[in-house]
Amino acid sequence: MILELKNIDKSFGEKEVLKGVTFTAEGGKAFGLLGRNGAGKTTTIRILMNVFSANGGEVLVDGKPIDYDKIGIGYLPEERGLYPKKRIIDQLVYFAELKGMSAKEATKAVDYWLERLGMAEYRNKRLNTLSKGNQQKIQLITALAHDPHIVILDEPFSGLDPVNAMLLKDVVKEQIAQGKIVLFSSHQMSYIEEFCDSIAIINAGKVAICGDLHEIKRNYVRDRLVVSTTRPEPIKADFGNTCTVREDGTLLIQLTSPNDKQAVMKRLVENYDIDEVRVFEPSLNDIFVEYAGARV
Amino acid sequence: MKQFSKILKFELGGYLKNKAFVGITVFLVVATAIAMFIPNIISAFQSDKQGSAPPTELPVMLVHAQDSNLSRLVGEYFSEAFTDYSVTVADGTVDDVKAQITSGSAACAFVMSGASSYTYYVNNLNMWDANTAVADTVLQEVYRVNAMIQHGLTSEQAGEILSVRVESDTVTLGKDQMQNYFYTYIMIFALYMVILLYGQMVATNVATEKSSRAMEVLVTSAKPTSMMFGKVLASCIAGFSQLVLVFGSAILFYNLNKTNLSNPIIASIFDMPIALFIYLLVFFVLGFLIYAFLYGAIGSTASKLEDINTSVLPITFLFIIAFLVVMFSMIEGNVDSVLMQVCSYIPFTSPMAMFTRICMSTVAWYEIFISIAILIGSTIGIGVLSAKIYRVGVLLYGTPPKLSTIMKTVFKKS
Repeated sequence: MILELKNIDKSFGEKEVLKGVTFTAEGGKAFGLLGRNGAGKTTTIRILMNVFSANGGEVLVDGKPIDYDKIGIGYLPEERGLYPKKRIIDQLVYFAELKGMSAKEATKAVDYWLERLGMAEYRNKRLNTLSKGNQQKIQLITALAHDPHIVILDEPFSGLDPVNAMLLKDVVKEQIAQGKIVLFSSHQMSYIEEFCDSIAIINAGKVAICGDLHEIKRNYVRDRLVVSTTRPEPIKADFGNTCTVREDGTLLIQLTSPNDKQAVMKRLVENYDIDEVRVFEPSLNDIFVEYAGARV
Repeated sequence: MKQFSKILKFELGGYLKNKAFVGITVFLVVATAIAMFIPNIISAFQSDKQGSAPPTELPVMLVHAQDSNLSRLVGEYFSEAFTDYSVTVADGTVDDVKAQITSGSAACAFVMSGASSYTYYVNNLNMWDANTAVADTVLQEVYRVNAMIQHGLTSEQAGEILSVRVESDTVTLGKDQMQNYFYTYIMIFALYMVILLYGQMVATNVATEKSSRAMEVLVTSAKPTSMMFGKVLASCIAGFSQLVLVFGSAILFYNLNKTNLSNPIIASIFDMPIALFIYLLVFFVLGFLIYAFLYGAIGSTASKLEDINTSVLPITFLFIIAFLVVMFSMIEGNVDSVLMQVCSYIPFTSPMAMFTRICMSTVAWYEIFISIAILIGSTIGIGVLSAKIYRVGVLLYGTPPKLSTIMKTVFKKS
């Protein structure tokens, strides 16, 4: 299954929020939707879910306009919250029913997920008696119980302890393995790097960069070397201004041209005590800062 | 449609599981029961009292005049007129009489300065004190009888002339306003209470979903029209079943106690014609819905529960004005004034205005038909519009938007 957003425009009053947002997400893979606060991520998600209609552009599934009656979407919003004073089982079944399940199916699915997430003991409790992290797990069930084709998770890991984060990772991997499209939106780059094959970075309503994460990284000009060494001083003295110390203590050497790569590597290995030398590939964090940092 | 029924069921369950809602309903039913059994309770209490306790002493009313003949004569007439007082002719000075009243040994006093003029002394003048009015009538009668006797009539002839009775009979061809007044009053008041109460509940319900952010999931799961209609109809059913329960138990208890409740006013309340009852249902449901939709729409524009009270004010004002217009017209007895006629076609006022006119006046069938048709049309229109406002409003956070801004967005979309 392929989900495509093509040239989505959206404005609220005078304010243009989205200007031609375009990206493609594939089934069986996770897609990272990144952007700074207010860049237009949530609006994009809401248009994708038909909460608003776009002013222009289209949402396609396998090349055809999306049919919301057939394509199920599960959504974990960034702003969490359900009915605080209602019993957990009641509201979860209600939400699954709203998505089109029968009462019986819904109860079965909800019970499965309560068990799967280790929340079965809270089944008949009121939501506001649970801790924040546990409430979040309950909310995750509203996104998954109806077995949607597209799962949209907005900051799914915030507020979870490491054990629960692990549990969620397993669940997400499971969803991906089932061939679903998992759309991630997060500011925790490490999770995006871990899960997502493709990303789109939205900046001020436009897609600043989009595509396969590895390719994006590889397309960077390969003119920097990362050097790991126990004795950095002689190298620093040798390379002068072109050599800087990174936060983790490794050295970053700026080459005059990517073509010098082999020669410089050879020179380093022959002359100095080197643990590791490799071409610098930017982290997602670096890419994010570069593409999303600039304010338009 | 399936979604709508799920929402309706869920929202209705919310009301039925709400302890406050159940508690208020039970309280109202019990209160109605007590009200209907009060005559029984009082009579049981009284018969008990009459058996054991000695008759209580009557308060003392003093009559004083310079002329002892006058004071004796007035004393005799007053004894007949004021049966709930022990009328005593007082000697001594006016100051003695005043002292007796301030000390409490007498309740009140008439100090006669002539056959047709007096001063009434009382310690604390009760709001409902009608003694002077009675005294005026008695003294007038005494004066007239004396005058007639002086002109040569016998006291019997004078008595006959004064006691002549006019015989009359009223045949009501239209509606008897007095007879219909009380149930119309009660029904209008019930409509007023229920709409205000449940309207606020719908608004609060929507705003709670918004402030708890349950809306984020809801709005992506269900159509706003289903949400709005589901919520409003659920509140309508809840409010209506509460009313049916309260009025139903009132009717039941009334019939159980019919013999003791001989008061004609109470009887007139329960003597409502079935046609009026059907009109009541129609106007009640439509009036309820149109306001509940408005309240729901307004609730969706408030981001915090605290904002609700100020946001709903315009609607509440509109509604209170409608209520006051109807109430004043009813009290004046002029339910067919131009204002009322206009109000009975405006959808926001017609539920109360037209219903009052049907109850207390004669309205042609086509007028009722037009009024109901306008009301049904506007209720559907307002319902759809409020669902649109809801769709726009629920995702707006921060300060509640201006009405004009919302309308712009809504109409731009459609």
